[in-house]
Amino acid sequence: MERSGRVSVYWVGALFLVLLVARAEAASILGGEWEKFFTERVRFGGYIENVTGLAVGPHNPHFNVSNRFQMNRFTIQPEFNIDIHDKAKLFISWKFVKEPRYNDEARARRITVSPKPVPPLENTFYDEKSFKPWEAVLTLSPLDVLSLRFGRQFISWGETDGLRILDVINPQDTRFSPPVAPNLFDLDDTRIPSWGMRVLYTMNPVNNSILDFFALPGFDDAKRRVDDIVGSNDTADGIVRYGRWSAHPETRLPASAGGIGRLYANPVGVVPVVIPSVTRRLPDAGDSWKIGARFTHNIGGLNLGLGYIWGFNPQGADMVFKVRSVSCPGAPCLAPTTALIDLVNDRTHLFAAHFNYTVGEIASIPFNTAVRGELAFYPDKPYNISIYPGPTGLKAGPHPKHPNGIVEKHTIRYSLGFDRTALIPFLQDDPLRAFRFSLQLFQSIILDHEDGIHPFSTAEKIGQVSTAFTFRVSTGYLGDTILPDLFLAYDPDGYWVANPAVTYAPPWSEKIKIGLIGAFYGGRNKFKSFGFFDEKDSVFLKMRYQF
Amino acid sequence: MRIKLRRPFSIASCSLFLVSALLIHCGSSWAAEVELKPGETIGPSNWQRVQGMVGENLLNRIKGGHTVQIKEPKVYKPIKEYVEATEKYSKNVKLGPNGELLSYVAGLPFPNLDRNDPQAGQKLAWNFFWRWLGDDYKTGGATKGGKIVRFVLEKDGSERRADLVSYFIFPRTRYMLDPKPVIPGYEHIDYMQLRIDSYPRDAASTTLEIRYDDPKRPDDLYIYLPSIRRIRRATTTQRCQTLAPSEYVLDDINSHNGKITDFNYKLLGEKKMLANMSQEHEPYHRKPGDYLPIDEKWEVLDTYVLEVTAKDPNYCYGKKILHINKMTYDNVWSYIYDRKGEYFKEFWGFFKPVKLPDGREVWSVGDVTIVNVQNGRSTVVTATRAYNRGYPASMFSLATLQRIQRGESIE
Repeated sequence: MERSGRVSVYWVGALFLVLLVARAEAASILGGEWEKFFTERVRFGGYIENVTGLAVGPHNPHFNVSNRFQMNRFTIQPEFNIDIHDKAKLFISWKFVKEPRYNDEARARRITVSPKPVPPLENTFYDEKSFKPWEAVLTLSPLDVLSLRFGRQFISWGETDGLRILDVINPQDTRFSPPVAPNLFDLDDTRIPSWGMRVLYTMNPVNNSILDFFALPGFDDAKRRVDDIVGSNDTADGIVRYGRWSAHPETRLPASAGGIGRLYANPVGVVPVVIPSVTRRLPDAGDSWKIGARFTHNIGGLNLGLGYIWGFNPQGADMVFKVRSVSCPGAPCLAPTTALIDLVNDRTHLFAAHFNYTVGEIASIPFNTAVRGELAFYPDKPYNISIYPGPTGLKAGPHPKHPNGIVEKHTIRYSLGFDRTALIPFLQDDPLRAFRFSLQLFQSIILDHEDGIHPFSTAEKIGQVSTAFTFRVSTGYLGDTILPDLFLAYDPDGYWVANPAVTYAPPWSEKIKIGLIGAFYGGRNKFKSFGFFDEKDSVFLKMRYQF
Repeated sequence: MRIKLRRPFSIASCSLFLVSALLIHCGSSWAAEVELKPGETIGPSNWQRVQGMVGENLLNRIKGGHTVQIKEPKVYKPIKEYVEATEKYSKNVKLGPNGELLSYVAGLPFPNLDRNDPQAGQKLAWNFFWRWLGDDYKTGGATKGGKIVRFVLEKDGSERRADLVSYFIFPRTRYMLDPKPVIPGYEHIDYMQLRIDSYPRDAASTTLEIRYDDPKRPDDLYIYLPSIRRIRRATTTQRCQTLAPSEYVLDDINSHNGKITDFNYKLLGEKKMLANMSQEHEPYHRKPGDYLPIDEKWEVLDTYVLEVTAKDPNYCYGKKILHINKMTYDNVWSYIYDRKGEYFKEFWGFFKPVKLPDGREVWSVGDVTIVNVQNGRSTVVTATRAYNRGYPASMFSLATLQRIQRGESIE
């Protein structure tokens, strides 16, 4: 199976290389109408990309076995635009990925985190070898003001960078990409397309009064998992499912050593007493229906929108454990030995709002900044909750008021973004090559907060207000052939991410880009926020050819 | 107004013709006396004959060996509907205290330009802004591939290509397409632009700009930033930044795309320039890595010389000198100076005849070239327009930005 998958990817690669080289000849052998059709109505594009990753963190137990190469991801994505008719367009693309895993890496993972005889992740875990289209969108425009889009597509209401507020319609594939590192794979790269339909009806174009409706029935299979950032063992089917970028190993210890139950223990303490039996009850990436509608409108220079989404939340970190039962050797149950736990992603819904506005001056002081905001209100959003400290010396334990470990709270998440450019001639070879600055604030506020709320994966508490800042600056040198870009994220609780990149775009070809990218994490501890990934410091070489 | 010479439609236009002829006569005393004959070749041995008629950079290239040949000037008939609108509405048009345009409906705002008028520069700027550009157009729509092709040339001759199209609509000055003269609801919008980049793949997306007639209201600008792959609302400061990797800034689009009231204008005089109003090859023939047209011929053209300086002292350019074709009010040459007053960029635009859907011949920009004389980089853009395509105003909304796929056409 694995062999056939590899062969198919190679064949596809070879086929597209032939197509690239022989495109002109291929066109010429087609007869009259077909040649005319392909010449005038079909456009072909896409890219080939290779990303090589090298672990550089000093404490990483996974990649110090024989070498530090941890990733080589080869991608081909051909794309076709077909103008079937003036009012009917078809966009179709495929995505083929081959990402061999290193035996030493797999062995290291198995030793570190996999209880025997649970097998490690299969070597094709990251591959994409299906001939099912990655995107296939038929756009019909029966009226100038009406656009109907059917097929597998991306729908994004959010425009934040690095972290998401409203970009939650499509799920994200967090298996292959380091988190919060948009200079390596941004949200566009990791978003998983969903089958469905989208309707855009422009009620009053001059005011951008637009009604946006989508419905996604969710046909995608379970492989498109969404929880790998905070991965955990699944003892139901015996397969350990955690990706390269899933969280710290302590959060996914083998069941024989405490498993998820250890999450309720002191993370550096002794083996806990709770031996959980975990069953994942995850939705597929787009499982079940997801429906949403939004209305946008301009009031003067202010563009704003209000919307509503109903369906599963695709963000892995929003999942919760549900404790089904706890077994104790005797009564009263002070030291449970077995807990049956479901990891679930409940159906949720959210109210969405956004705005953007440009501010020229404030009190005659030039501000010249575009301000944008996104807000999501989650009614009764589920959280895991525990009592602190737990019984028998545990850091946390079952909460007496919430026997299933879950509490529901209204939650507000919002972001504010400030974008502007500045000319800084003394830092530039060309005085008009601008520096682009972007500052973002993200906050999550749990209304009617209770002490003891925590993410499903760790016993670190979530406060009433969680905050993160991001800052990004980029520019271009030497005719935009050298493109530095620095993305930083900071959590005031004491965690950070640095994602610097420098890309070379050779002056002799617009098709090629070569980038050197870093993803570095750190903070107060490794059980919360960006600290989850503090063993994942890596550098990458990314080579991309567009056609 | 030499254009009136070729259009004996009415008494009114005859009177305009007389005024125009008078203006031309008076203006000729301003202009340099140059007699270049069709068929004449200019090169290193006689470059002095075109001194002052081309940019400094091109002149240096001629001194260094490049040759240009002179041809008969190409004359275009004015657009009947545009002339009629000028006759009908121009008498009521005035300038406001801040240089804004008052009581403008359609046509050329100030057909009787008086060079002694202290506001002549401002009026000329409005004439340039409201020159005939059709009711809508697709930049690149009349090229062979139906798109703009842009080449960015490095000093060492390296080249990079990009493909895009750009749609403009003028919703309140409609001459030929219904609804006329204004699309209801759009009375307050001068123009809207939708730009779709299609190649290279990572730059493929859309940009939207809306220019309001209210002089105090800044443009709505939504720019796609390939570096972060996001569409961002942009402020006016971004009008100055380079449209990477080209040498154009946003305000260089169509020679001068800044909001008219954001600048001061001075009519420096009239001048004969070398131009090309009937570009023969598209794109013009050039050696790989060089921006110079090899075999295009040039003609002598009467122009107004307009100095443009920004009211904002922090604006990217110190000044821009436009050379505006007296026949069409298009700009054929720009000399751009940086804030230190040093020569910065040199721009020329070729024009060529194109057909309207009804078969009438009109003019369109063809290939435009900008050379950054300070860093040696240049950009050559093939951008011939297709006019009056009947685009719906609804196309120029944020919904289009939401729905366009990578590389998708909109028509």
